[in-house]
Formats: sequence, structure tokens, C-alpha cells
Amino acid sequence: MTRSADTPTTRALARRLLAYEAAEAGTAKADTQAVCRVCDKLRRPLTTLAGAAGFRSLLARALSLAKQESPLLGAWEVKPDGSLQGLNGEAAQPGAVLIAQLIGLMITFIGESLTLRLLHDVWLDLPDSEVKFERNESK
Amino acid sequence: MNEQTKVKINQLSTGVPGLDEILGGGLPEFSFNIIAGAPGCGKTTLAHQFIFANATVERPALYFTVMGEPALKMLRYQQQFTFFDAAKLNNAVRFVNLSQDLVERGLQGVLEEISKQVEAANPSIVVVDSFRTVLRSEMHEGKDLAVQTFVQQLALLLTSWEATTFLIGEYSEPEVRDNPVFTVADGLFWLFQQVDRNSVVRKMQVMKLRGQASVPGLHTFRITAAGLQAFSRTLGLLGQRKTFGSVKRLSMGIPALDEMMGGGVPEGDSLLIAGSSGTGKSLMATQFLAAGIRAGEPGIAAVFEERPSEYTARASEFGLDLQTPLAEGRLEVIYLRPLDLSVDEMMQEILDAVKRTGAKRLVIDSLAGFEMALAPAFRADFRESLYRMIFALTAIGITILSTLEMPETFTELPFSSYSISFLTDDIIRMRYVEIDGQLSQIMMVVKMRRGAHSRDIRQYQITTDGIVIGERFKNYVDLITGIPQPLSVLRAEETLLNRKA
Repeated sequence: MTRSADTPTTRALARRLLAYEAAEAGTAKADTQAVCRVCDKLRRPLTTLAGAAGFRSLLARALSLAKQESPLLGAWEVKPDGSLQGLNGEAAQPGAVLIAQLIGLMITFIGESLTLRLLHDVWLDLPDSEVKFERNESK
Repeated sequence: MNEQTKVKINQLSTGVPGLDEILGGGLPEFSFNIIAGAPGCGKTTLAHQFIFANATVERPALYFTVMGEPALKMLRYQQQFTFFDAAKLNNAVRFVNLSQDLVERGLQGVLEEISKQVEAANPSIVVVDSFRTVLRSEMHEGKDLAVQTFVQQLALLLTSWEATTFLIGEYSEPEVRDNPVFTVADGLFWLFQQVDRNSVVRKMQVMKLRGQASVPGLHTFRITAAGLQAFSRTLGLLGQRKTFGSVKRLSMGIPALDEMMGGGVPEGDSLLIAGSSGTGKSLMATQFLAAGIRAGEPGIAAVFEERPSEYTARASEFGLDLQTPLAEGRLEVIYLRPLDLSVDEMMQEILDAVKRTGAKRLVIDSLAGFEMALAPAFRADFRESLYRMIFALTAIGITILSTLEMPETFTELPFSSYSISFLTDDIIRMRYVEIDGQLSQIMMVVKMRRGAHSRDIRQYQITTDGIVIGERFKNYVDLITGIPQPLSVLRAEETLLNRKA
């Protein structure tokens, strides 16, 4: 199921964030770590806006939506503390689906403008051009 | 203490149109305030409007949320308002969630977290939403002192750090007596929603404000796409009564009527035109406005029973061009028919129009339409509201002409069904009379507070040139009853009686 806020543009943004974090991690399991790093970095602003329980709920909802699309997410779970577990095997593609759904939820609630502002604040060292929606992408 | 030695309290603009005036100039800087009221009455929006108007990157606003509405949802809804500035988010306006601190560490945890955040951010404004939630978690037997200590420490902390503070809570009025936070607070703003029949009216009251004189009483406010807009009961016009060296007379646009009024209506007067349906009240009002336009006096027509285009079209049927001054900004036609209007909003509309046009003349056509446009809650106070409005507007030199429809009675001549004659300086009464088997129209100047006037009862006609006043009815008595008697008949009866005697 593709929700209104889960678009090719959010997918592209999710992939850029994961690629950036994978490069930063630079380990053997860079893809898996990248997913965890993106979620952890989103935890702070989302906890501020929705509380710890709120963040966990949002991540769980994003995972639920992502699982409908990607069978590779079958074993992934959100722990009570809001962290992810069960990330075995291929993580890049399902991770992008999950992060895109999470960003999509943010857009649904607070709109694209504020979501991008929050992402900018989190990934300060990421070039502006990376944290934006590519309007000319094919949909 | 003299002016030089006493501390000067800076006043912050609230960002809410009309509220600074109610507060007595603005919100005292570093004050510790409570915004109270039932759910949905606009507390959070008021706080947001204030922070977006005042917060800067150097001196940001810290918005602490506790348990209730999370910031995520606040942002979702508050960004719909035009005052919301996304560029300020996370730099000038920062949200902090205290729910976990409260759950895990209680009041002490909340105080520690607020201290930490305040010391790190050096905020100029702090909001805790909802503060009632914070206290309710500890408000039970044996904890009174702990709550009181917490409130005291928080107030000291935030004042010491030079922060202007708002504690938001869904308090009920009986809590004012027992809750320690109300004692500590410098300012207490209560927001209400009053339901009367099918309409809802929003009102606010400044129940307490240390250090300055606020305008007492309940003030109407609205929430629109621009946020809150408040309407002071006085609109800042009290005490500004304009004094006239000599009384200038304004033409009514009907020469014979000017003559009857001793030269026209005195500038700054409130004139009431009372009469039954079809007697020409609205036409007289239109002629009054048109005469003002011709004399270089811009005007405003507040109409409730027809739209501006209909109003100017009807005037043109009588050879009065209101369309040109309307297009040129020398005339404004205010059409209000929302059915939940307050007199204060009406006044604000008129005052805004006065500022735009420099109006000297105002027509309210009609008082009955005005009353109907008000929310039921305001109708009960219509006379008192009308008094405030007329006083405030004439105080700034506006000459007001109001029309009032009267039920026609053929046994008496009431001047007004509202008993508002005391509110007006001058009264003209128009009515039908039966003369020789025909319906005729008469008018008379009943009252002129500031001068002599004709006592004549004159007949008049409505023509394509407007109202044309004729001669005095000399050969009739009991004209004001509507069923006059020819003088000749009475004299014949008298003669007959004298003969019998």
C-alpha cells in the first residue's frame, strides 16, 4: 500500500539518508547500522515532539506499513525502548522502505516544510541538496 | 515613589490584535502568568501567537509539553494559522517534552529538566502546557506543601532567568481559591466559550495582572485563520472625548429638515430616526451620507438588511451617487450579518473603516438589524452595548445617524421600543397619518439636545429626488396619534356644545 505521504520523493530521501549513514558507519554491516543510525537520529526530534512513547508508536506504525510492502522486514521489530531488533540479512532496500514510511508519517502530521526543517536540523553536516525532495523525480 | 526611582516594567506586545489594549499596553516582561480555561477555548493558540510574535534566536521561547497534546499535533494544527513561522521552529521556538520526566521523577524531575533547559537556552519566554497536568499528578493528600514548593521554586527560577512565563491549564473557576499557583501568578487570563441557544461566543477576562491597570470585564475575542483577535470593551476610546469649540452643524441633505433642526445636526451628535416601515428612514440616512460626501466629509454605512451593491443601487434611484465615493474610498459600506456578532467586533469594524476613510459620518441602518446580527448572548445587553458604542464613536467626533423601525400605533407615539432615547442627542420621528381618507406622512424633530429646533409637525413626500418636506399641517389636531381630526369639525362641535349649554 502506498500512502499519500509515502512517495518516490520520500523513498529517494530515505535512500540518501541511509547512504550517508552507511558511509559514516563504514563497517561490514554498514547497511544495517545505517538503518539504526537514521532511526536513532530521528528519535531525538520525534521524542521532543511526541514523547518517548510517541516516537515508539510512530516507528512501530512505520514498520507495520513497511512490512506490507517488503517481506524482508518480517523479522524486524520495535523494542519497548524504541530501538529496532531483528535486522538480519539485506537491510538497504527494506530499510529505505521503513525510513520512507517514517518520514511519510512525519509529513502526514506536520507537513513537508516542517519535516524537511527537522531533517535539516538532524543532518546538519549533510549538504542541503541531499536533504530535500527531488521534485523532478519520476513518480 | 516618584517616576525617576520606580522600576520601569517593559511591556511585550502579545501579537494578538486588541489584547495589548486590554492588558493596559502589553504583557509585563518577566511576569509569571496563567492562561486558564476549558478545552477548546484557545489557550494554546494564544500562547503560540505570543511566542511567535516575541521569540528570537538569541532569546528563544521554550515550549514544554506535558502529557496532554504532544508538540507533533500542536505543530500540525498551529501551522494552519498565519502567525506560524516555520523558520522559527527549533531555533527561536523550541519544544521540549516533559512527560517522561514527570512520570519517572515527579515534580522534582520536571523542575530539574526545566532548570537544565532554561540554563542552556536562556529563553525570553517559557510555556508549560499543560501545567495543570504537572500539578495534578501530585495533588493529593499530604502533597500540598510539595506542590506549593514546586510552584514557588519554578516561579523563582523563571523570574531569575528573566523569562516571561505562561502556565497553561484547563482549570475550573472554583480552583482559583485553593490552587497555590494562582497566588504566585502575576497574571491570570481566563478564556471562556459561552453557548447561548445555537451560538457560541468567546470571551476573555484578565482576572489578575500585577503592575499595571488592565481593562476590567469580559472581552469578546474571535479565533480566525490569523489566530486570536480580541475586542476591548472600550476599544481604547474612553477618556478621549473630543471637544468642539463651537458647534458645527452638518447638513442632513434636506434643506427644510436642516431648518427644522436649527441648521442641521450638531457635529459629534447621535441622531435617531424612528419610524415605521416605509416611512423613508433609510432614504433620509442615505441623503445624510450623500450630503456629507458633497461637503468633503467621508462616511460609513453599517447596513444589516441589504448588501453594499443593493445599498448604492437604491441610492442611485434617488439621484444619489454613492458608487463613486465608494470606489474612491470616501465611503465604506459595512455589511455584517453573521448572527453571532458582538458589539465590540462591530465597533472594531467601524473604527478600522474610520481610520481608512477619515469618516465623519456614520449611518447604522438599522438598530433592529444590528440587534438581530448579534449573538443571542449579546442581545440581552444591547442597550448597554449600544451606549458604549455611541459614546465611544461620538467621543472621537463621529456623527452617528441610526435608524429604528417602530411599530405603527394609532393611539400613541412611542419614540423607541428600546427605550434608547436617552442614548441619543437628537430624535426625528416619522410616521403615517390618515388625512382625508388618504395615508400621508409626517415628521417632527422631537429632541435636539444642543439647541432649539422647530416644533412643527410637517408633512413630507418621498419623491425621485428624495424626501421633500412640505408645510405644517395647520388645520388638524391629534396628528401624532395618526388619526387627526380636522380643526373645523372640532370647532363646529364646540359651537354646538356651547349652544346647548
